[in-house]
Amino acid sequence: MGRIRLISLATLVVAGSVALAACSSSGGSKSSDSSTPAGTTSSSSSSSSSAPATTVSCPSGGTLNADGSSAQANAMTTFITAYQKACAGVTVNYTSTNSGQGVSDFTAGKIGFGGSDSALNPAKGEPAAATKACGSTALDIPMVTGPIAIAYNLAGVSNLTLNPTVLTQIFLGKITKWNDPAIAKINSGVTLPSTAISVFFRSDPSGTSKNFETYLQANDPTDFTYTPDKPWPGKTGSGENGSAKIASSLKSTPGGIGYVEWSYAGNNSLSVAKIDNGAGAVELTPATVGAFVSSAAVVGTGDDLSLKLDYAAKTPGAYPIDLVTYEIVCSKYKDAATGALVKSFLTFTSSAAQQATLPSQGYAPLPASVLTKVQAVVAKIS
Amino acid sequence: MTLAAETPTTAFASNLRARRTKNNIATVVMTGCFLVALVPLIWLLWTVISRGWRVMVHADWFSQDQRLTQDWRTPGGGALHAIIGTLEQVLVCSLISVPVGVLAAVYLVEYGTGKLRSAVTFMVDILTGVPSIVAALFIYLIFIIEFGAGFAGIYVSLALVLLMIPVIVRTTEEMLKLVPNELREASYALGVPKWKTIAKIVLPTAFSGILTGIVLGVARVAGETAPALILVQYSASRNSNLLHGNQASLPLFIYSQFPNYANVGSKENAFTHVKEVTNNYAAGRMWAAALTLILLIALLNLVARLISRRSKVSN
Repeated sequence: MGRIRLISLATLVVAGSVALAACSSSGGSKSSDSSTPAGTTSSSSSSSSSAPATTVSCPSGGTLNADGSSAQANAMTTFITAYQKACAGVTVNYTSTNSGQGVSDFTAGKIGFGGSDSALNPAKGEPAAATKACGSTALDIPMVTGPIAIAYNLAGVSNLTLNPTVLTQIFLGKITKWNDPAIAKINSGVTLPSTAISVFFRSDPSGTSKNFETYLQANDPTDFTYTPDKPWPGKTGSGENGSAKIASSLKSTPGGIGYVEWSYAGNNSLSVAKIDNGAGAVELTPATVGAFVSSAAVVGTGDDLSLKLDYAAKTPGAYPIDLVTYEIVCSKYKDAATGALVKSFLTFTSSAAQQATLPSQGYAPLPASVLTKVQAVVAKIS
Repeated sequence: MTLAAETPTTAFASNLRARRTKNNIATVVMTGCFLVALVPLIWLLWTVISRGWRVMVHADWFSQDQRLTQDWRTPGGGALHAIIGTLEQVLVCSLISVPVGVLAAVYLVEYGTGKLRSAVTFMVDILTGVPSIVAALFIYLIFIIEFGAGFAGIYVSLALVLLMIPVIVRTTEEMLKLVPNELREASYALGVPKWKTIAKIVLPTAFSGILTGIVLGVARVAGETAPALILVQYSASRNSNLLHGNQASLPLFIYSQFPNYANVGSKENAFTHVKEVTNNYAAGRMWAAALTLILLIALLNLVARLISRRSKVSN
């Protein structure tokens, strides 16, 4: 009996010591991490490794947690990897959820900053609630601009053009077949199948939805009668949770159409429609996005940098369905260490070198005029 | 078969032939069913192993985390952050569940009578049937909504406790029932008090059986995903602090790689059309993490088998 007990005890001890060893190794992770940066990275390219070296002022250590908008999640992954490469002792976590959760978790004081595709909404008292949680003014800081791709799955059709009216009618269920005359009229020369249209929308409170709705309403107020908000108002089609699910659903559904941040469409090799806002069909490219976003104007007051995009503009060569995704931060953090982390990380992401990595991932950098203001505001965070 | 050696009447012979035919049919059907049951198992193991082993056997897999390789286009990195998280969450869960579960079982077998006993049995029955997502939502409501706590690994442990306790109570109860009453009676006859009989005679006799139950309980909860999805957020970096902050675990690591699973590698950038070879490394990591989890649980089951082989009492 003694022997059995001994063996069983030994098992437990071994299991325990494994866990302990794991703990102690994480304590010393600072040195081991910096000594083996991407130890196994082979020669094949990665977007993150192409980032030019940026001089960063690293905090001595700590962990910064953030969550929110899935539209900016792919950019965040790259920013974080590059930042953690530069600052070995610091950890940044960004959990991809949705803009609604980014705002609510920030207001609840659970996270260092929240990612949201729309600025805090005064009509819902969001700035006041966030300011109360901060103990100082809460700010919207634009960081990444992301085109919203109208992605579709239609075998044999790779060159589809849509306009705001047709888009509204498709997404609200007034057009139900791909060979509808309204679609055929703006796609002469394209053979459209009679497949039924399956609409996919975001089921969670999404900033992508809100921006897309704002675009539809700005261009076709007669068909789109809803007030733009984070939940999608339409009744047609199926709702999916998060950008990644929209992309995977589109990929597996012939006849499907949905709106999703471009990086998800590109990573999944989905077809993306051209948009005709009245000045000719415009393909979605980094250049056409840049052409549109350069007109963004700051409408926030003081250090708040919420932007306004002119969705109804009929600029030739500008892709009109874009969103600006914000980081919601406190101007002065109750916990100075968190403030230092947020400041250091956002200084890094708003540097010209990091912004320059965005086009290769399906985003666009902030226009230079806005970027200068962002850098000035980030420098004031404490 | 031995019947055939006796002198058969014609009726008996035809009867025998019919029985042989039935026997053959039954054998074929049963073997067939066995093979059919084996198909998904082998298929699953083959899928996971063939897709995951290449990434898993790399030396970095057990010594690195994903802080520098989060992007789906970047190869390398390891699962250490997830392994730490899983071990910690399961260890703390066990530290809470084992005493509660074993003592509850001792109560049911040795002390419990009447209404309280049947009430406890009933509760354990109900707890056995609680799906993991419900346990997770319960902990979410109590701690994160009501108490306003931030996400942390400890809440996963607490949700797992709800799933682990009934397993331990059930197995321990069965093991204690197997301890022969004669042992208890002999102990009482020597004037040993009841508590000492339980502590020195009953529990040691059933020890290996109880330990098997504990290990099975651990194996049951180690792969639970719902609590991890709801109660903690993923971190690609190591975090050994169970009480604060994002923490990875193997199920969560698998889930974090899943959104990029179907992403397509290409010879040019999908956005800028610049020549740039990209491959999808998230899929390999996902399968390797799945394989690691399966191996971890298989290892625990193996330990349980080895211990139960040494069991003193058996059914």
